[in-house]
Amino acid sequence: MEQYEPDRLTPPQVAAMRRSLRTGRGALTRRSLLRATAGGTLAAGGLGALSGCGIPAAGKAQGGTPAHDHSAQEKVVAFSNWTEYIDVDDSGKRHPTLETFRRRTGIKVDYTEDINDNNEFFGKIKPQLAAGQDTGRDIIVLTDWLAARLIRLGWVQKLDPANLPHAYTNLSPQFRNPDWDPGRAYSYPWQGISTVIAYNKKALDGIEVKSVSDLLDNPRLKGRVGFLSEMRDSMGMTLLDMGKDPARFTDDDFDAAAARLQKAVDKGQIRRFTGNDYTSDLTKGDFAACIAWAGDVVQLKADSPDVDFVIPDSGYMTSTDNLCVPNKARHKTNAERLIDFYYEPEQAAALAAYINYVTPVDGVKPYLAKIDQDAANNPLIVPDKAMQAKSHAFRSLSQKEETAYEEKFAKLTGA
Amino acid sequence: MKTTPDNSGDVRLSGISKTYGSFTAVHPLDLTVPEGSFFALLGASGCGKTTTLRMIAGLEEPSSGTVRLGDQDVTHLPPYKRPVNTVFQSYALFPHLDIFENVAFGLRRRGIKSVKKQVEEMLELVQLGEQARKKPHQLSGGQQQRVAVARALINHPKVLLLDEPLGALDLKLRRQMQLELKRIQTEVGITFVHVTHDQEEAMTMADTVAVMNGGRVEQLGAPTDLYENPQTTFVANFLGTSNLIEAEVDTENGDDIVLKAGGGKLVLPEARCSAPTTAGGKVLVGIRPEKIALTHADEAGSIPEGRNRVTGKIADASFIGVSTQYVIDTPVCDEFAVYVQNVERDGRLVPGADVVLHWSPAHTFGLDAAQDIDAGTEEEAAA
Amino acid sequence: MSTLTEAPPPLAPAEPEKRPPRKRGRFTPYWLLLPGMLWLIVFFALPMIYQASTSVQQGSLEEGYKVTWHFATYWNALSEYWPQFLRSVFYAAAATVLCLLLGYPLAYTIAFRAGRWKNLIMILVIAPFFTSFLIRTLAWKTILADSGPVVHTLNSLHVLDLTDWLGWTAGDRVLATPLAVVCGLTYNFLPFMILPLYTSLERIDGRLHEAAGDLYAKPWTTFRKVTFPLSMPGVVSGTLLTFIPAAGDYVNAELLGSTDTRMIGNVIQTQFLRILDYPTAAALSFILMAAILAMVTFYIRRSGTEDLV
Repeated sequence: MEQYEPDRLTPPQVAAMRRSLRTGRGALTRRSLLRATAGGTLAAGGLGALSGCGIPAAGKAQGGTPAHDHSAQEKVVAFSNWTEYIDVDDSGKRHPTLETFRRRTGIKVDYTEDINDNNEFFGKIKPQLAAGQDTGRDIIVLTDWLAARLIRLGWVQKLDPANLPHAYTNLSPQFRNPDWDPGRAYSYPWQGISTVIAYNKKALDGIEVKSVSDLLDNPRLKGRVGFLSEMRDSMGMTLLDMGKDPARFTDDDFDAAAARLQKAVDKGQIRRFTGNDYTSDLTKGDFAACIAWAGDVVQLKADSPDVDFVIPDSGYMTSTDNLCVPNKARHKTNAERLIDFYYEPEQAAALAAYINYVTPVDGVKPYLAKIDQDAANNPLIVPDKAMQAKSHAFRSLSQKEETAYEEKFAKLTGA
Repeated sequence: MKTTPDNSGDVRLSGISKTYGSFTAVHPLDLTVPEGSFFALLGASGCGKTTTLRMIAGLEEPSSGTVRLGDQDVTHLPPYKRPVNTVFQSYALFPHLDIFENVAFGLRRRGIKSVKKQVEEMLELVQLGEQARKKPHQLSGGQQQRVAVARALINHPKVLLLDEPLGALDLKLRRQMQLELKRIQTEVGITFVHVTHDQEEAMTMADTVAVMNGGRVEQLGAPTDLYENPQTTFVANFLGTSNLIEAEVDTENGDDIVLKAGGGKLVLPEARCSAPTTAGGKVLVGIRPEKIALTHADEAGSIPEGRNRVTGKIADASFIGVSTQYVIDTPVCDEFAVYVQNVERDGRLVPGADVVLHWSPAHTFGLDAAQDIDAGTEEEAAA
Repeated sequence: MSTLTEAPPPLAPAEPEKRPPRKRGRFTPYWLLLPGMLWLIVFFALPMIYQASTSVQQGSLEEGYKVTWHFATYWNALSEYWPQFLRSVFYAAAATVLCLLLGYPLAYTIAFRAGRWKNLIMILVIAPFFTSFLIRTLAWKTILADSGPVVHTLNSLHVLDLTDWLGWTAGDRVLATPLAVVCGLTYNFLPFMILPLYTSLERIDGRLHEAAGDLYAKPWTTFRKVTFPLSMPGVVSGTLLTFIPAAGDYVNAELLGSTDTRMIGNVIQTQFLRILDYPTAAALSFILMAAILAMVTFYIRRSGTEDLV
């Protein structure tokens, strides 16, 4: 798979490429390897998706539509995840935690890395879910807003708490009650993603950056500031900076934040809105500072001493990638057992030691310390109390709001 | 007839040669084409005739030697500065331009503004006045050929070079165009250098023919000279058909040489022998098939004295209308070709009949026996 | 076909019973067309119809979409996003011209001057295709980085002052400016220009060059009057193969551009994937398609190469 290693790109940049242009937040492993990416996938994404838009009314079945559960007869579970978002052994082919699960339960995990992008993946599974058919997947991993959309559409199944004792007990309080799935009836986080401010010390050249306001207003940063093309991250950080709570804002608040960003765009302060490719801008110093995902920053810091991050006093955004069971999945119970398995602190630690995102499981730290002391002490991976206190989530949106906000944000980024 | 009195239309090649790596396409060559003549370079493919032509045109840089037009040394001039035009093999007409513009091309390049009259006249000369606005691919092969000639001639070049100009035409059209080209040449009086592999074409059209073989000129002269008195086996075989007999010099008798061949004696005028002769030496004796008379063996006594004689048996006879072509098995040559005009046909001359072949010694020619006897024949070309 | 059916059967009396197997042969061409037709129907016609229908629907993801023949979507899309349309056309045209200026000399060299290096150079031209479009484009971010040697050189030569004044770049940078996007487009589509140019140049009979020289044309005149006119089919197909995908491209604008360089491809992508406004996305696609079709038709008419394309 390691076909091509462009020399001046660091592994995180390469990983960024791999994870497509848009909202991709696949994974950064400690050993991010370049996969031959599909520019083709990307190009085909646009056209293929356009033509594949079967759009009947969403089958509204609150609580989801279970199929007959074959878990007892068929000892398998089909798990669709983002690329490189799980532990890998030295051979690069086997996933130790999945093997532990199999040894213990006898359930074979049919693991596929077929998610590159939320929007794209939604386009892919939408026709089947809308038509009330099995997608062939028992577990899918969706970023919270998309998980919220599927719950709203009634396309994912309610989970059985009886099968999720560890998950129920060990889920970090910070993630327990998102407004789109209070009490976690439909979803459990796989990993949390923090959005912070990252900067390049060399490029900053002594300029102090502590808040989003610094990014938007300091004339010395003109044309060297990056924001994310992910609406919730960029708008959430701006709302926080303006003293608004992203979990409880109004249309006016949104418009005011958008206007604030628009002003920065108009005067050339913001260089561009990016997907994952911001990592190369940051390491090369084209961005002096930018809104960034913490998982990337952990990796970038390791490779480039100039890169660091700061948590604004006003707080930072946290979102989650969530495990859901889509409608008509054949092995719901097996899926629930797998979810619960990853909420055992020992397994969560094995996972956290390999990928650099926020672990949603309490009690991981001692286990992680045994594997990797640095990771255990890194607040971006195992958030401490102070860190958790500054964490904010974006409130869930109705379909109408989502469309309106995305449209306004798109205008802001040049449509 | 001559357009200029200063011989500036002469083409003078001195010592020019062309080598490609280790391959020599043209051996050092001296050649003068007098102004106003129709000159043909004749030879099989790969003999160097086209390369020679291209060196005159400036499309090929000679490896040595000089090219002069009259007194002007043009050896190192690019083609567009030489007062020479070429009619290319398969014409190379510009497919994107119509006939008018093809013909006007050279004039326009020389900055001549009003080309209409000249082009129309030239198209009239080649009888294509009606076709002016057609594209080349809409014309027949013969018409395209005439366009190519018109396109070159309109520039009044000092020399017109023609590279196998009729090669792509069918036989009938080729005959017609041969006469047409000859007419045009006579009319305009420009020096024509014509490259061809067709000996009949060369002999019909040219005043002077140079026969080339293996990068060298084998023989140069008027068509009749070449035919009647070839100097090499190649010329003898390539131009028409020759019967060649290996003979031994017996005695020299005044202006004649007496030769022994297959037990008989043949007489050859010394003036018609291009090879050195010493008593006992070998010579190739040649005679054209149509010069030979055929007499049935029963009437051998009626043959006048002083003629060369060979006896033989008819192996094959084919009647082709104006003549009958015989193949005779003789002691000196087992496939002796004889063409007899069908004036008074002798019914006894059928395969198996014993005959006497006889001809005037004045028609005999002698060649150096050290040469390949088959040079220039079709058998050799096929080998 | 007509000769088959109309030709009098000269041998008919000799073999009156034998009806030649013409019937089967008559349908052979249609059978041969079948796979291609099916392919077109499934992968072109059906998606087009689907998309056409989508563009006149109204609704939302939750309520479903219904065909309401709401043609206003087209008008709204056009009036909202005409700047991006214009920009796409302008960038694509600029990239096409650059491709032609860069590609023609290269194609000419390969066709007439490269000799035994011909194949090697052709491979080098195609080599970028061995890596993905995305990675090739990202590589330009390294090449054009603000502190990189290219920008540094341009800066010290005051080239960027000029381009800044023209509005092609902003300040001391090239990335995230129109120039970067146009450069990216040029780079990515250059092979699409070179290959057809090369093919049509290579087809030109070398004797035509000799004939032109023989008829007093200097080398440059030969090029202007003979070579270039004869390479027009390559020029036309090369410009089309460059312009059409460049006008619809969104990767270059996304990676190398900024908010003020977004092209119509970016808008369609955003409409479809983020805003989930499928009708607008479909309408924009149709407008783009129609606009390109109109421009291409006009262009081919003007260049007078209908029969050559």
